[in-house]
Parts: sequence; structure tokens; C-alpha cells
Amino acid sequence: MIKDYPKAIVTKDGTSVLLRPVVPEDEEALKQFFETIPKNEQWFLREKLSDPELLHQWLEKMDYRRILPIVAVKEDDGTIIANLRLYRFTSPSIGHVAHLRVMVHRDYRAQKVGSWMILDCVKLAMNLGIEKLYAEFVVGVEEGAVKAATKLDFQQEALLKDYVKDPQGVYRDLLIMVRNLNQDWSDF
Amino acid sequence: MTEHFWQGERSGFLSKTIVVDTPLGAVAVRNNWPPGSMGDLKLEEGLGRFAHYSSIIHNVEAFEVIASRDGGRVTLAVAEPNLIVAYGLCYYPDSDERWSGLGDLMYEMAAVEVSRNYRNFAIGRKVMDLVMDDDFFEDKIVYMTGFSWHWDLEGSGLTPAQYRQKMIRLYSTYGFREVYTNEPNIALRAENLMMIRVGSRVSAEDQRRFRYLRFGIKQPK
Repeated sequence: MIKDYPKAIVTKDGTSVLLRPVVPEDEEALKQFFETIPKNEQWFLREKLSDPELLHQWLEKMDYRRILPIVAVKEDDGTIIANLRLYRFTSPSIGHVAHLRVMVHRDYRAQKVGSWMILDCVKLAMNLGIEKLYAEFVVGVEEGAVKAATKLDFQQEALLKDYVKDPQGVYRDLLIMVRNLNQDWSDF
Repeated sequence: MTEHFWQGERSGFLSKTIVVDTPLGAVAVRNNWPPGSMGDLKLEEGLGRFAHYSSIIHNVEAFEVIASRDGGRVTLAVAEPNLIVAYGLCYYPDSDERWSGLGDLMYEMAAVEVSRNYRNFAIGRKVMDLVMDDDFFEDKIVYMTGFSWHWDLEGSGLTPAQYRQKMIRLYSTYGFREVYTNEPNIALRAENLMMIRVGSRVSAEDQRRFRYLRFGIKQPK
């Protein structure tokens, strides 16, 4: 699976981008990437990888079997423009499920980079034998990602009302979406 | 399973044959069937129309048409006396397809199919062995497209994701790798796939043109 990377995409504006797993040498580029994410969006990160020290620690302990991080890298200058993380579980009770989180550089959100990242993640998960992909989105903050996930057949599974707080202390809903990778399309 | 191999020339086409012994009898897999040579053959009943699945080819005449096309190649697996039990078809893309934009650089692995009754005897691999056994491919970007609505999920008992993995495993053996594209049919479902094999003599510039064409851009930046 990992050996199949990098995967090339070309954005709508003709930028050539490579999708590939994160390597420890990406530390500086990742640091720069997280600096571009607006503060109000960094707020919702579960792991504060925008903190250089935490990012360094995370890269040192990186284990693809637990978290498979994929980055989108501009081919011409190596800038990281998106980051997706596929969380896997060792427990057999939930080993067939994986969670995904995706963040895209603001300048590339209209270029469908996030859509390609999620599609890549769906295909990767299929190849890993995963049966369900799970994603959480903060309502009113991650609408672009919700749209992309919907187009890729993620279904709205639950809405947790007033589940997270934004930087102003306002409660926001958390939307849970699931993509069943074993669905049978024969009746299409 | 035993195999016999020989090589010969028929009507100007270099042709190779592998004979595979299966529990259902000997099957001769031969590549490069020339046009006009398939009139006596019949499709085995496991290639046909079923409730949730239909073969891509429904009559022998279709093989003749493909063999007659410029660059068309037909590989057939034939059980005695004259039953086609599997086939591999390849040709240059049609002019209305996106990939024809790169001229004869692109070559399509259009179909590989094995009769429901002859599966699990490795005949598909023998078909692929003979299809790919040609230096011709070193100057080409060979591509295959896999559409989940064409897959025999009912007959195979596989989910689309599992069938997809099976396809990837088969084609990877021959140097194919999955690539992404926004071509509408392929992009319609995540299960669908496009795999390519880049010939050893294909230039970096041609590979770059192909990468951009996959996303509908005819002129790279």
C-alpha cells in the first residue's frame, strides 16, 4: 500500500501535487503548513501539531500502523498544502474501522485538494481491508470538507448537539459521517 | 496443472500459445489472433448475460472486429474443441476518448475476462502473460480502467472493495500501478480504478503530458 506512493494529482489551476506518507524530514515543511492554518481552525485540532515541540515529538514516535499521515506536496517547491491522517485501531473489536482528519491550506481549498485527499484515503482504506471510514466535522467551520465527503458517499450518521466549543466559547455541533467501504453497488 | 509452450507465425502475426491443463480439460491460450481466424469458435456459456452481470463481449464477431482494428490484439483461451473460455483484448483508444489526445502513445488494455466456469485455474494470468509478452509495450503507456458496474460480484462472491484489490494484485504483477484521474466515468465511484504501465522507452515529457491529461489539461504548465 505505502509502496504505491507518491500519487500524482493536478489541481484545477494546473499545479502538480504529489500525495505521499509523511516522513520525519517533513518537520519543517509541516511546521510551515500548520502556521498557515487560521487560529480559529487550529483551535479544533485534537492534537496541537501546530505546536512545534508537539509536532517534533509526534514525528519521532510516528507509527504508520496506528496513524497513517498523508501529505499533499507541491511538486515544484515541496510546499505541503494538505495533511490527512488515517487513525487505525489495534483492538479487533474496532480494527475494521478507521478515522480520518484532513486539513487543507486555505489557498488550495477551491482546488479540490481536500477531495483528492479524501478519495485517496478511501482507496487506501479499501486496500488495507478497512470496512468503515469515520470522520468528524465541526458544523459551520468545516463545511467544505463536509461537501467533499458527501460527494464521496460519506453518510451523515449522527449529530452531536453543542458538542464542541469554539474560541469564543460558543457551543457548536459535531457532525459524524461514515463511509461504508463494503457497500454493494450491484443494484445501482 | 501442466503447461506447454510454442511459438509460431500465423498470417504475418507472431503468435504464442500456452496450453494449460485444467480439471475441465486442456485450454490453449494464444495471443495475436489474426482477423478472419475466429469464425469456427464459440463462446463458452460462462461468458454471457447473467442477472447481475454481463460479459463485455457477446459474440465472436466482436473479436474479429477488434483484431481488424489498427493495433487491435486479441488473445483467446480456447477449450477443446472450439470454446472460448477467456479473452484479453487491447487496442488504441477510440478517437472520442480523452486518452486519444496523446496519439499512439496510449494503448488500452480493454478487457480480460474468464468464464465463470473456468475461474480459479489461473487462466486469467496466462492470458495476461501472453498479452504483455511483447516489446511493443516499452514504447507505450498501457492503461486499464476498472468500473465496478462491470465486475462479476455475484459470481465471485466479492465486495467491490475486494474485487478492486483482486484487480490491483493481478495487474501489479505486470508492472501496472494505480493513478488518479478526473475522467468522469472513473471518478464516479471510489471503487473504480485506472492503472497504467509506463514502458521503459517512454520519455519523461510524455509521462508529464499524460499526468496533466488525466486531469483534463492538454497543455502542461
